[in-house]
Amino acid sequence: MTASPNGGEPEGGARAAAVPIAGRAGVRAWWRTPTARRLAFGYTLLSPAILYVALLVGAPFLFSLYLAVSDASVGDPFAEFVWLENFKAAWESPTFWIALRNSILVTVVAAIFKSLLGTTLAFLLLQPFRGKKLIRGLVVIPFTVPSAVSVLGWKWMYDSQFSVVNWALNRVGLISAYGTEGWPIWLGQPHLALAAIIAVNVWRSFPFTAIVLLAGFTAVPQEVIDAAKVDGTTFMQRFRFLVIPMIAPILFVGLLFDTVFTLSDISVVLLLTNGGPGNATQILPTLAYQIGILAGALGRGAAISLFLFPLLLPAMILLLRNLKRREW
Amino acid sequence: MVTAARPRSQRAKEIRRHVLIYAGLSPYILIAVFPLYWMAITALKQEADLYRMDVIPVWFNLPPTWKNFDYLFNHTNYGAWIVNTMAISALVSVITLLTAIPAGYALARLRLPGAENLGIAIFMTYLVPAIILFLPLSRVVSMIGLQDRWWALVVVYPTFTIPFCTWLLMGFFKTVPAEIEEAARVDGCGQLGALVRVVLPVSLPGVLTSVIFAFTLSMQDFLYALAFVSVGDQKPVPLGVATELIRGDVFFWGSLMAGALLVGVPVAILYNFFLDRFITGITGGVVR
Repeated sequence: MTASPNGGEPEGGARAAAVPIAGRAGVRAWWRTPTARRLAFGYTLLSPAILYVALLVGAPFLFSLYLAVSDASVGDPFAEFVWLENFKAAWESPTFWIALRNSILVTVVAAIFKSLLGTTLAFLLLQPFRGKKLIRGLVVIPFTVPSAVSVLGWKWMYDSQFSVVNWALNRVGLISAYGTEGWPIWLGQPHLALAAIIAVNVWRSFPFTAIVLLAGFTAVPQEVIDAAKVDGTTFMQRFRFLVIPMIAPILFVGLLFDTVFTLSDISVVLLLTNGGPGNATQILPTLAYQIGILAGALGRGAAISLFLFPLLLPAMILLLRNLKRREW
Repeated sequence: MVTAARPRSQRAKEIRRHVLIYAGLSPYILIAVFPLYWMAITALKQEADLYRMDVIPVWFNLPPTWKNFDYLFNHTNYGAWIVNTMAISALVSVITLLTAIPAGYALARLRLPGAENLGIAIFMTYLVPAIILFLPLSRVVSMIGLQDRWWALVVVYPTFTIPFCTWLLMGFFKTVPAEIEEAARVDGCGQLGALVRVVLPVSLPGVLTSVIFAFTLSMQDFLYALAFVSVGDQKPVPLGVATELIRGDVFFWGSLMAGALLVGVPVAILYNFFLDRFITGITGGVVR
């Protein structure tokens, strides 16, 4: 991270360009130019943030690659290289495949419901009406409450006997009474538990989808819409050929963010089912936590958590390309 | 007659439109708010009132009580958890500001070569999931001797608050007109002087936003707290509530909900006010 002399800055540019040819004296003179001082100042200001991120995100990331190919465990600091042994062990364990499948299933199914609920909500919130601020504030509550807190609330709502969800379903006649076959035990039956987890995921983030979409919709200039109206386009045409292309980038970023959040979220599963019943609701993050921290097999855990990376990578590359295209 | 009826029908149309919109929105409001309402009412119910399915459970069948809150403060570490949470969030905010303000300013204003890529690179680290980092970080935490102390979280939380707030502040600093900074330089301020005396005061809303996000993002975490802190009186609130109010098969639902709400609702309100900034922050003004 050295200050480069060709900073492309008009007032100092001419002198900076001469630096490589000049000798020691020239270098010393260059250090006194405004450009050089600005660059030195700039990188000094940047360095604490970069150091922090490099030391506590960059280095741990590399360290986790190392852990994944070692037999490190909590009690044993002297790890040996085992190459791809951890990945192989994961690959051969049926629980890993359940976790991988659930991770993808939860993310995809939740994304579908979030898009449906989010889009319809965004359209409703786009209309002018009284009390919009208040209603918007109420509707985004799920996204703003810390997830551990709201998941605890859901756990109580899914209680096997005193579930308010079941009480309501029973009252409207959709399920039969407690103690019978027709009384769903949300967190105790494999398929229901998975559905319950997806429901909480959707509940938590459909407001986010709606707000991102709303931000996109309101960013489309009214004049453009009006001009298209004058030209005699229908609503659907305007939507398809004007609004969607214009909000596509923002939609995209919102969707990618949501995917990353959902894939790596651990609190919903950990607090609701802890991966159970059996291993039916295990996802990659919970499995990595159980094996890496609870069972103390750091290497195994790191390998499992790294399987998330290929799932995340496409989203992150797309996001990167999108951010680079933005105007500066 | 016709001219008199006209505004009335206009009004009727407006009312009808409103009714339709409210009707459309009400299921969303119900879905969004009910879990919170259920938590609140559970927190205030008497024990006996919680476990009855023969009566309507969405309202009090026995008089409301403060007993759950009383239990929380007098028989658990809740007081300590609140203090921990506040201390963690405050310290994280300070660390974040001390690093993100200079970084954001440098990236936005100093025309550094490669500033764009650096800015994006820093922001992308916000997206590296905690689940990939928490195993190596647990090693780091035990290496520096902070295992099982809330200080560990002060060290770890800036890994996501610094990238986010740097990105956010960069956006803010870009909107400060260059002229006022140049004017300050002409008046004899150094580069640092111009930042501290002119740019910062003008960007105070941005700085405040960053503090709010550093604060609320710290309170949103669960995984790091769970992985690094397992001593009762060192926990932050969400972790303490989730781990100490469940004893084996026994759930102290009333106190559990009370404890969760006491921290959840203030965070939700704060976060809500700044939600638009959050969205603009992460979508990075893609549409402008």
